[in-house]
Amino acid sequence: MSNQQQSALSQKRDPLRLPKVILALFMTFLFLFPIFWMIFVSLKPESQPAASPLEWFLPPYTFVNYIDVIGGSDIFLWIWNSFFVGIVTTILTLVLTSLAAFALSKMKFRYRRALFVFFIAGLMVPGEAMIIPLYEIIGAMNLLDTYSGLILPMIAAPLGVIILKSFFDGVPNEVIESAQIDGCTDIRLFWNIVLPLAKPALAAIGILTFIGSWNNFLWPYLAIISESLYTLPVGIPMFNSNYSESYILPMTVNALASIPVIIAFLLFEKQIVKGISFTGIKG
Amino acid sequence: MNKKSWKNELRPLPFILPFFIVYVAFTVFPIFKGMQMSFFNWTLIEQQDFIGLAHYQNVLTDPNFWEAFGNTTLFVVLSTPTMVILALFLALLANLNTRFRTLIRGAFFIPSILSVSVISYVAIFMLQPYTGVVNNLIQAFGIDQEPFWLAEPSLAWVSIIGVTLWWTVGFNMILFLTSLQNIPDDLYEAAEVDGATRMMMFWKITLPQLLPITRVILLLQVLASFKVFGQILLITGGGPGTSTRPIILYIYEMGFERYDLGYAAAMSYLLFVVLLLLSLVQLRLGGKGGRMI
Repeated sequence: MSNQQQSALSQKRDPLRLPKVILALFMTFLFLFPIFWMIFVSLKPESQPAASPLEWFLPPYTFVNYIDVIGGSDIFLWIWNSFFVGIVTTILTLVLTSLAAFALSKMKFRYRRALFVFFIAGLMVPGEAMIIPLYEIIGAMNLLDTYSGLILPMIAAPLGVIILKSFFDGVPNEVIESAQIDGCTDIRLFWNIVLPLAKPALAAIGILTFIGSWNNFLWPYLAIISESLYTLPVGIPMFNSNYSESYILPMTVNALASIPVIIAFLLFEKQIVKGISFTGIKG
Repeated sequence: MNKKSWKNELRPLPFILPFFIVYVAFTVFPIFKGMQMSFFNWTLIEQQDFIGLAHYQNVLTDPNFWEAFGNTTLFVVLSTPTMVILALFLALLANLNTRFRTLIRGAFFIPSILSVSVISYVAIFMLQPYTGVVNNLIQAFGIDQEPFWLAEPSLAWVSIIGVTLWWTVGFNMILFLTSLQNIPDDLYEAAEVDGATRMMMFWKITLPQLLPITRVILLLQVLASFKVFGQILLITGGGPGTSTRPIILYIYEMGFERYDLGYAAAMSYLLFVVLLLLSLVQLRLGGKGGRMI
């Protein structure tokens, strides 16, 4: 990247470079500290209260808490629920938004512009302010306390349509026209020609949708009553509030919930960062 | 209209319709449903009497509503500038050309992918008096105090804002970082030829070039902070007393603990109007922030 050359060029002349790097590393330590603390506490034997900060991080270590938590809670069930809801939400979001974006970008029909504006307007509707009517609607559909009730309200994300439409707009119309002359059906045009070109956008939207769903708290907290349908973010508080004194087991639950996400982050870092920089949307 | 053009008009339907139906049912319809509910005495068992604007009158004279609204505003006012400045500061650090670059970026961002439940409980237990690591650290530095972080309103706010910063600042940091990397090199090279100091380059090139993204981040942040809920519910439960209760928590309590869905819907509607106005400001002022479109 040419930008790195630039900073390489001027960094020789930056007398403050070393202090800046030290400051950056100090901030790094500060940001990681709570995560390390969580993991180290989860490895503490139950009977070992720590009197000094250092003792949190020193041995003895044990995995017995992990065995206790896995045996004594539904944590795998909650992880499975979160995973299932996340995957279905992500797939449905990608299917619905890419189909709609394809039509808006590559088909000519009346009210096309009006429809696009109608979808854009949805960006301004804050889900958080809509929980009461949404609860009523999902209730009337008899979908409270079901997977569908968790998934359906999340999949009509206009942002995906808007991003994918702008991606599809980049596909030259000549390609589309010549394929149509060759007798290509709309659905094959969509599936074989347009969709493969939007892979980076689909990956970014998909990953951000999955993370959003995985971490979604407010809606599952309202819409789910049965413990067997808890997602992880709802299960954790229910588990943890039973342990207000000792926090070794709660931290084990937190660590168990976080380790897969951290690994996923390390694997998909590039797509996550790309996704954020072109959607720029806060959860 | 002849047969062929009819067919043409129907062609997009299978593509548009699935999204359209879900979008109308779960994004557009709730807006109208919410308005309807706010005009009724609407409880969980749905005894419905039309009462017109009475809920709105009651909400607007409800001191609890204004307290919650004030708390939310306080959170926005305190957290937004801190968040934006910290994000810029971290982005500048993450943009340093060192071999630790990936580590630094990862560290600033990783808290944002953790669940609100995880970060809340890590915070609660770290902040616990006597056994929490934060007080342990304070005392290790020779300060003989035992702050009860969540028991006093001002300390509770400091805790909530601190946790929120740690949790979410990485998101904005990435937006700043991308923008930093998009500043054309020739600007710096030209400035170098002219003999500009690094300080001057920062004030005359970097900051002005970051202005558009700063505006976007600022507005996104105000909107996001206005919707604060999860971490407050889990960390303080709105307490001590009701001193940290934000508007969405009050809506939640009225709707799902006192079962007054009509009243909660009226409050939601007021919140909706505020957020809508903020979004409109964002679309007008966002400049390139309209880049979402």
